[in-house]
Amino acid sequence: MTSTLERSGAGASALGVNSIPALLRSIAREEPDRVALREKEFGIWQETTYGGYWDLVQAAAMAMWSLGVRPGDKVAIQSENRIAWVVSDIAAAAIQAASVGLYATNPAAEVEYLLWHSEAKVLIAEDQEQVDKALAVKDSLPNLTKIIYVEPRGVRSYNDPMLMSWEVFLGLGRAALEESPRRVDELVDGIDPNEVGTLVYTSGTTGPPKGAMLSHNNMTWVAESGRKLIAGDAVPESVQYLSYLPLCHVFGRLYDLAGALAMRATVNFAESIETVVSDLTEIQPTYFPAPPRIWEKMHAGVQIRMADASPIKKILYKIFLSTGMKNADRLLATGSRGLWGSLTHALGDVLVYRALKKKIGMQRCLQAVSGSAPIAPEVLKFFMALGVPIYEGWGMTETTAVGTVTTRDEIELGTIGKPIDDVEVELAEDGEMLVRSPGIFLGYFKNPEATAETIDSEGWMHTGDVAEWTERGFLRIVDRKKDIIITAGGKNISPSEIENKLKVSPFIKEAMVIGDRRKFLTALIGIEFDTVANWALRKNITFTTYRDLSEKPQVRELIQKAVDTANEHFARVETIKKFALIPKELDHEEGELTATQKIKRRVLTDQFSDLIEEMYA
Amino acid sequence: MRGRPNLFTRYEADAGIFPSNTQRVWFVIGLLAVAALPIWLPRDWMILIATAFIASVGVIGLNLITGYAGQVSLGHAFFLGIGAYAGAALGGVATDRVTGLGLDILIWLPAAGLAAGLVGAIIAPVAVRLRGLYLAFLTLGLVFLGEHIFREWDSVTGGPGIGREPAELSLLGWRFDLDGTIGGFDVTREQQIYWLGLVVLIFMGFMAKNLVRSRIGRAFAAIRDRDIAAEVMGIDLTRYKVLAFAVSSFYAGVAGALLFTVTGFVNTASFNLLLSINYIAMVVIGGAASIAGSIMGAAFLTLLPRMIDAAGDVLPFLEVGSQGILSTSQLERVIFGVLIIAFLIFEPMGLYGIWIRIRNYWKAWPFSY
Repeated sequence: MTSTLERSGAGASALGVNSIPALLRSIAREEPDRVALREKEFGIWQETTYGGYWDLVQAAAMAMWSLGVRPGDKVAIQSENRIAWVVSDIAAAAIQAASVGLYATNPAAEVEYLLWHSEAKVLIAEDQEQVDKALAVKDSLPNLTKIIYVEPRGVRSYNDPMLMSWEVFLGLGRAALEESPRRVDELVDGIDPNEVGTLVYTSGTTGPPKGAMLSHNNMTWVAESGRKLIAGDAVPESVQYLSYLPLCHVFGRLYDLAGALAMRATVNFAESIETVVSDLTEIQPTYFPAPPRIWEKMHAGVQIRMADASPIKKILYKIFLSTGMKNADRLLATGSRGLWGSLTHALGDVLVYRALKKKIGMQRCLQAVSGSAPIAPEVLKFFMALGVPIYEGWGMTETTAVGTVTTRDEIELGTIGKPIDDVEVELAEDGEMLVRSPGIFLGYFKNPEATAETIDSEGWMHTGDVAEWTERGFLRIVDRKKDIIITAGGKNISPSEIENKLKVSPFIKEAMVIGDRRKFLTALIGIEFDTVANWALRKNITFTTYRDLSEKPQVRELIQKAVDTANEHFARVETIKKFALIPKELDHEEGELTATQKIKRRVLTDQFSDLIEEMYA
Repeated sequence: MRGRPNLFTRYEADAGIFPSNTQRVWFVIGLLAVAALPIWLPRDWMILIATAFIASVGVIGLNLITGYAGQVSLGHAFFLGIGAYAGAALGGVATDRVTGLGLDILIWLPAAGLAAGLVGAIIAPVAVRLRGLYLAFLTLGLVFLGEHIFREWDSVTGGPGIGREPAELSLLGWRFDLDGTIGGFDVTREQQIYWLGLVVLIFMGFMAKNLVRSRIGRAFAAIRDRDIAAEVMGIDLTRYKVLAFAVSSFYAGVAGALLFTVTGFVNTASFNLLLSINYIAMVVIGGAASIAGSIMGAAFLTLLPRMIDAAGDVLPFLEVGSQGILSTSQLERVIFGVLIIAFLIFEPMGLYGIWIRIRNYWKAWPFSY
């Protein structure tokens, strides 16, 4: 731990500030008129400058102070991404308290657990839905004193003394700020960079969520590393971000809060998760981070719309996609497209790629990043073919989102690249990946046992991922340590690799490979409703619901074909012998997925045990 | 925002006429090309295109009330007539038969528009109570009323069969209707009328474009789509319908006053039902509720006879001397009728709709939607 702390001091000095609030303050003083945030209201992107951003943070910070939040306390935020989110987060850090993010989709029971465990004093709740959840469980939360609601619709008539509107809250803060205008500044100056700056609960595919304590140092280090990683030293004058990744997740926090500040970027808040596609075409972000699920969806979307295109367009697309894929292969093998490849790419750019990139919002994207789960190489290659440079990164909440990355010049498909600056990686004897960096978290909140299990005496963080080095010195993740399947024949198999191959098909949304202590592998597969519905319409197959569509024999055939294609990539023991289609769409609120849309294997195994047993019968 | 054409931080930009600088540049290039045309064009073509420019102004007026506000008006010929005679009386030369004040174009052109607009505003309250077919009949009545007035009021109109000269194109002493020299270059009468028509069209076109993208334009569209719903949303029906009539008539007045200065003669028989129908056809063929479409429609129908003439040499069934089945003017009428039917069935959005489709084909590239 000691070595970690020493080096984190070095990382923070690169930005010259002790914390994220101090970073925001310095930008607000240097460039108060630079646009910091945009939020769409009545069809127009309303702008907030860095000066206005800092004013809001100061008001919110003083309001929290007036409500009795003191250094070391927690402020919970349950909301979709919006200005109030980032303002509350930085405000809490500014008064030496810490924020706790809750997903808007967290059901009341989880809200109760998270608020209880984090001992949050104040909750910033987005709207009536979140207020209702909190009010339902407030009796078991002795620490909670105030609930601030941002959207007044539906809440106005509530008559609970715990409730306060965002406007009143800010007004309270502004009044307090007038009385003691130096307090926030003093508190920010007094921040100990090694204290907890924020609490990030891991979504936890197993067991209750654990609260990872990230220090101010972790955040400033990751802000600086993130900037170096995706922009190098050449940060463009105007950087646009689209904020849609949940801010309670460390991946979203890295980009929209820390990284954006380090680049003095403008963060545009997507209206909602449904409008991300159209928001993307409006914002055309400079840097775009996304989990594989989004890349897969974009890839599938392009394929579907191309299937409906007119013949000439289709032919052109086919020609240039295949040349683009060849170019991507060359790029991977040699690091450059070569002369002929550059020529065909330039031609393809004019005829297809540029227009296509504009449609999916990648036209001005200097660097895209895929992270949070392994991405299928085919999808990665597709974007490389279009000329969207895309990194694949690996990181965890416990390493403050970053760790290793494939770079523009150093790519090996299917790997997570090499450790970034300041990050050390070693493999334990059982193949478990160990990481040491200034981004390693302080520990789990109120859980020293788990902390001790994760961080050893030498400061190595045990990731729980089994990895291996490739010949070229890249890291390849085999799987989560606890997910690895050992078949009845004693063969070790990584399910996620097979699942990702399956999910390359635009028709497959979810896949879970089963086979632990079994004779052969099977899979539970969930269809991608939109694409399969579109396919069915073109084949004149009528259907009503998701379940009905899943049960169509033609759909089974379609998925069988996709499974066969995926099987070609694997040795015989690793092939999927049978599969079952899940009759419902998986959902976070029903506990089948984590808030980050990862499948909860144990829940699925229990819930669909009859389907599974049928396959082995 | 620069480089991000769909990112709007202000409503002004969102509702802008030109969404991006690229379009602005192309518009200016196109405009310069059109302005440069008279250097090479033969005289008769210049006159024809100048007529199309001025007719466009009239069509924009009709499109405002019919296309945007959804009030079918067959009375456009009446307002064109008012404009023509108001212009002639104020800007024409007095003879022993007709009156004429010989005023400057700066006075008679707006005055002609105002006169027509005023009559429109006076009639509007009656029209406001009617919808659809009934309104069409009421405005049809105006045409007959107008024809009668124009025939009888010979101190202004010159009377049937005789007519009178239109207003003089005299701007602060400069005569557009006479050949002259500008900065050492000889310019013909036709060239000057061409440019005058172009300037008036651009001015009136932008005025209309600004009107329809403002609160007033949105109110018009709301009334067109469902007047009761519009009223529920707080739109004063009477006020906006009167406004639509007045503005539409103003455009007709301006167009009417200029239209006959090109040919140099106004006949009372010109302002009949056929003229109204001609304008409706231009709206339909050009594209309802579109300023650009109005111009396309006007240009298309104005240039159509000339194109049929040109085709006459090629088409064997056209009458040459006493041979053939159809005369060119008969063919013109047949084509005219067929066009209206065809557009209503196949392309209700008119030429503008075709343009939109072509544009969307490229805009959606490489997708199809």
